Amino acid sequence: MNPSCDPLLAPGETLHSVTEKIGDIPLARAPRWWWAGLAAGFGGAMLLAVSVGWLFFRGIGIWGNNIPVAWGFAIVNFVWWIGIGHAGTFISAILLLLHQRWRTSINRFTEAMTLFAVACAGIFPLLHLGRPQYFYWLLPYPDTMGLWPQFRSPLVWDIFAVATYATVSLLFWYVGLLPDLATLRDRARTRGAALAYGLLALGWRGDARHWVHHERLYLLLAGLATPLVVSVHSIVGLDFAVALLPGWHSTVFPPYFVAGAIFSGFAMVLTLVIPLRRLYRLEAYITPRHLELMAKVLLATGWMVAYGYFCEFFSAWRSGDLYERFAAANRATGPYAWCFWLLLAANVLTPQLLWSRLCRASEWALFAIALVVNVGMWLERFVIVVTGLHRDFLPAAWGMFRPTFWDWSTFAGTGGLFLALLFLFLRFLPAISMSEMRTLVVQRESIP
Amino acid sequence: MDRRAFLQAMAASLALAGTGCRGRPPHGIISRVEGTAAVEVEWFATVMPSEGYGRGIVVRTNHGHPTKVEGNPDHPESLGATDVFAQAAILSLHDPVRSRTPRHAGNPATWEQFAEAWEIRRTRFRTNSTPILAILAEPTTSPTWLRQIHALLDDFPSARWYQHAPLGSHSHRGHLPEFDLAQAEVILTVESDLLYRHPAALRHGRALAGRRLSEPGKPLPPRFYAIEAVPSVTGAVADFRLPMAPARLSAILPAVDRCLRDPAAAPGLEPAADGFVRDLADAMRRARGRVVVSAGPACNDRIRDWSDRLNLHYGRDVVRWRRDVRSDRNPRCHGGLADLAAAITVGEIDTLVVCGLNPAYAAARDLRYGELHARIPFTVHLGEHWDETAMLSTWHLPEAHFLESWSDLRGAGGIASIQQPVRLPEAESRNAAELLHYLRSGTTAGSETLVRETWRAAGANDEDRWVSWLQRGIVDEPMHGDEFVTPPEDGTAELPPSVGKADGLSALFTPDPNVLDGRWSANAWLQELPKPLTQLAWGNAILLSPALASRLGVQNGDVLRCSTASGELDAPAWTMAGQADNTVALSLGYGRRSAGPLASGLGYDANLARSAESPWHTAVLALRKTGGHALPVCAQGHFQMDGRDLARVLEPAIASPALAPAHRTSLYPPRAGGNPAWGMSIDLSACLGCNACVLACQAENNIPVVGREQVARGREMHWLRIDRYVTGDPAQPRFVAQPVPCMHCENAPCEVVCPVGATVHSSEGLNDMVYNRCIGTRYCSNNCPYKVRRFNFLDYGGDARAAGGANPRVTIRERGVMEKCTYCVQRINAGRIAAEVAGRPLRDGDVRTACQQVCPASAIVFGNLADPASEVSRRAASPTSYALLDELNTRPRTTYRAALRHPPRP
Repeated sequence: MNPSCDPLLAPGETLHSVTEKIGDIPLARAPRWWWAGLAAGFGGAMLLAVSVGWLFFRGIGIWGNNIPVAWGFAIVNFVWWIGIGHAGTFISAILLLLHQRWRTSINRFTEAMTLFAVACAGIFPLLHLGRPQYFYWLLPYPDTMGLWPQFRSPLVWDIFAVATYATVSLLFWYVGLLPDLATLRDRARTRGAALAYGLLALGWRGDARHWVHHERLYLLLAGLATPLVVSVHSIVGLDFAVALLPGWHSTVFPPYFVAGAIFSGFAMVLTLVIPLRRLYRLEAYITPRHLELMAKVLLATGWMVAYGYFCEFFSAWRSGDLYERFAAANRATGPYAWCFWLLLAANVLTPQLLWSRLCRASEWALFAIALVVNVGMWLERFVIVVTGLHRDFLPAAWGMFRPTFWDWSTFAGTGGLFLALLFLFLRFLPAISMSEMRTLVVQRESIP
Repeated sequence: MDRRAFLQAMAASLALAGTGCRGRPPHGIISRVEGTAAVEVEWFATVMPSEGYGRGIVVRTNHGHPTKVEGNPDHPESLGATDVFAQAAILSLHDPVRSRTPRHAGNPATWEQFAEAWEIRRTRFRTNSTPILAILAEPTTSPTWLRQIHALLDDFPSARWYQHAPLGSHSHRGHLPEFDLAQAEVILTVESDLLYRHPAALRHGRALAGRRLSEPGKPLPPRFYAIEAVPSVTGAVADFRLPMAPARLSAILPAVDRCLRDPAAAPGLEPAADGFVRDLADAMRRARGRVVVSAGPACNDRIRDWSDRLNLHYGRDVVRWRRDVRSDRNPRCHGGLADLAAAITVGEIDTLVVCGLNPAYAAARDLRYGELHARIPFTVHLGEHWDETAMLSTWHLPEAHFLESWSDLRGAGGIASIQQPVRLPEAESRNAAELLHYLRSGTTAGSETLVRETWRAAGANDEDRWVSWLQRGIVDEPMHGDEFVTPPEDGTAELPPSVGKADGLSALFTPDPNVLDGRWSANAWLQELPKPLTQLAWGNAILLSPALASRLGVQNGDVLRCSTASGELDAPAWTMAGQADNTVALSLGYGRRSAGPLASGLGYDANLARSAESPWHTAVLALRKTGGHALPVCAQGHFQMDGRDLARVLEPAIASPALAPAHRTSLYPPRAGGNPAWGMSIDLSACLGCNACVLACQAENNIPVVGREQVARGREMHWLRIDRYVTGDPAQPRFVAQPVPCMHCENAPCEVVCPVGATVHSSEGLNDMVYNRCIGTRYCSNNCPYKVRRFNFLDYGGDARAAGGANPRVTIRERGVMEKCTYCVQRINAGRIAAEVAGRPLRDGDVRTACQQVCPASAIVFGNLADPASEVSRRAASPTSYALLDELNTRPRTTYRAALRHPPRP
């Protein structure tokens, strides 16, 4: 069967079956594997707690950062997580505005992923401060000394961009959840669950006026979220582009960061959705068609990213600037060259497999490719941050960055935190939007 | 205990030690300015021993605590400058691991117990001519000490005085050539570190720099030639440097002489050396009478005779031979360490007193000195540390630091100074003169009494005179007129010119530039200071030439086993551009077994492969890789400029106006000028790369020591670093040293990116760090193209906080904040206050930064760029002045003047 003609919803699904299958997951007992998954995530989160505790006790020096590589894993991880956080809003908002109906079954899940990824990302800029206790000095608040942040610094723009993004994403997700929370309230088997879901549902009764307001608000929020998809990672890109370092000081960064973010976000969605639909038997809602469409997005954004790499090298060569040219050459041939070639293999070569329909149709292939892209995108940020810093203008001041145990443990810890949050979400909230799936059922029935 | 734990313990003990508000000044000391009692800052002139010679220094005390050493401008061997060791001395003074108590057989004891033990022997030595009492000490110029030893030799018929100079001697046949580098036209050094390790190094540095500082219309600087196997500070600043293995060195001066007599003669050496010698001979011929030839302590007598001969013929106007004021050839001295060893071997020595030396570590291992020492029935060791010799001695006695006791020393030029203490000793310790007096008389006399006694005849009883000696730091005694001699023209010239045969590998033993023979091992500043040229810190390595390394297939850090006739040792390799092929350099001063928790076990001990007969070089029997790898810690990432125009080198005859900085446009509005507009100019021509500025900055600004592991991670904290570049052919390269402090850019890239405004511009053009506002994003460091910002990754300041010598006018930085060069803002403010109190405007020279003040070469000048008459404006306006990375349009306030080096003659 040609997957591109696959339905977005398996045949035979009714309004009732949708509600039952999806709505039962949070209300029924948790399966065994859920506990195992949560334990793994929780263990990781505890590792994070220990790492952060030791960090606060000893200082940034437990990491491998130095002069000249003053930014290390913390910033790499921040950019990586923020990038992952892009797919959710992209899928929910932009695809909504573009009337892409296939977003319906995955938007809830990806929005949740976005929130958790942003939460993980948001930790790093604070942890990486030398004196994290004063993080609030980054915020513009009226203090008695009349001191304000220094608004020319992209780090201040970051605070606004990320905070706005997190807030709008949360609202968007929550507003979308309201009808489903009401469904769960109504179907709850215990008093406690009914109360909890009832409180969260904010008195949703399925009133026609509720639906009108809801749809209008949802659309408005989608409109608000759309520019944010572009702005957040553009501004993160500016953190680098504003600096005068060769390899950083480049106008290509904002668009190239946005493309990279969507690329990595989709890779992460695939990584998570493929096992999930099997485990919860949601194949009826997340169909091969979905996977195929996401694979295509991955391929397209992969090319955008590849174009970004090309542009970096081209502009370095075209500038004729000694330092820019050296920085480019150092990326490809310096001590961290293996990272660079690995990232090219992961981000440029691997996605080319997706030209093949066979690959796009194979869950296993997609899952493997998505994993490789995740690693590749992390390496990309490592290459930008570390190779950009370790050899700049004065050769005498060059250095090397070697990550320590605590660098890795903090990174792994945020992975654990992410997983733990994700499993809690799967357990207590519907992973697929029931109300939107029901709309899909109705739409299918109305089409002859 | 690991190093950090040790530093913490040191912190705690010092915090307790420093609980008194005001230090206790010793009785009788006189500050530089009269009538300044009860002011916060006082200055005391004194003198510092450097291999027995004196160098005038001035010590600053804040509230009675000694905090900083400066040079004494009145002292001819200092001229206001110091070397790295004088800067580091203040840390040693406050070192908590210095020995504080006498020990008997290793156990803590008291001076009274020692007195009991000594009294029995003393009466015996007084009357009997056997058994023998031997005193071993480093040669010295101290009149008081010499008076004591002579008195002791008079009183004790059985006493013998042995002298050992572990670092060799610059004097030859009892006279020390005195060079007038300010007048010289050609300078030739043969294995001689004339500008760094020489009794008159500071004077030489000032004179050479005076010639090299480029001024319009000035005569060309002297042509400077250096022949040496391993690049030294001096060789690195020479115009022409010839790497040459020691075995071939004997042939070079005769070859020069041959070429001088007959311009057409062939030097008969290898091609590179031939060209060098021809060029040198040509230059010498033209500069006849104004040629300086210096052969260093590692040269054999023949080479040094040749150097005297060439000086006699070609250097009449600029070389004099001063009778050495150091006691090397004192007629009453019985011999050297080898003689002592021989005497011990035959069992002659009953009692040995070692004053300040550590031969059990620092002597060549084939003497087996440690075993011999332990064989003597009664040994006394006077030293500042519980070191290897102390451990083998019957008695160890704590020696007073030179800043804690009275003494006197002469400079290389003969001028005497009184050494006055700047604080009371923290424990009961004595200096060598006091000990000798006690050993002889059995009664204690204060060191002040002994010194006054020495100088009574010269007028020490005249209180005014005495006070003026202490204030100025020099003694005004009449000269006798017999200070100078003429060396005999001996027969060496007639010897057949031996041509060094193309032989095998030889090993050179070089005193480590920072810890010398290990005498400075316990000093954390010197350990962390990147060594000139190699930039290694916290250890040593086997240096070998790039050619030899590639022949052996050796990478930096590969462990090599080096065997000589005396022994063998394992150590990591490090390639050194410009080193003579077929040589390996082994540096002394490491591999200590007992040097306190900081230095014990660091590096390898070169003495293992050294022979007493030929202490400076020997043949290598085998050199092979062991398969191990231990990368030495190096503070610099890369030594080539890779085509970047960073440290510029020009020919003196060309003053290119193309170097004048182009003024570029900026999106940001120009900064208002401000007056004063502080700026700095660093002259690379004058700069010797001696590191004194780096340590002066560390001492002045409370810069913490971070330890070996942190330096390996790239986290050293020096606000001022010296970048060292190697250009040209790696076999015969040219070296340039470039001190890099904060540039105080007018368009500072760091300021734009700080999210909290913790680094901001002052109205006078300083790029200020507001430590209290810094939250530690480190973005400023990323965006600094000069990478001069330093970050407190861990609580480094905690150690500095406790150090007794901290400068109270400089904030100690907290963990997690950025710091960097401030242009010594505390000195700017102090200068401004002083000018206001005096009711006058700030004048040029009122404010001198720590790096500027200490510089022997006057390479660094700081001042007001808004005042066109100021020295810094004058230098910044010169045609060779340029801004580092000018193309970035950061508009640095710190500018450089290109290094001027003669081009090789075609």
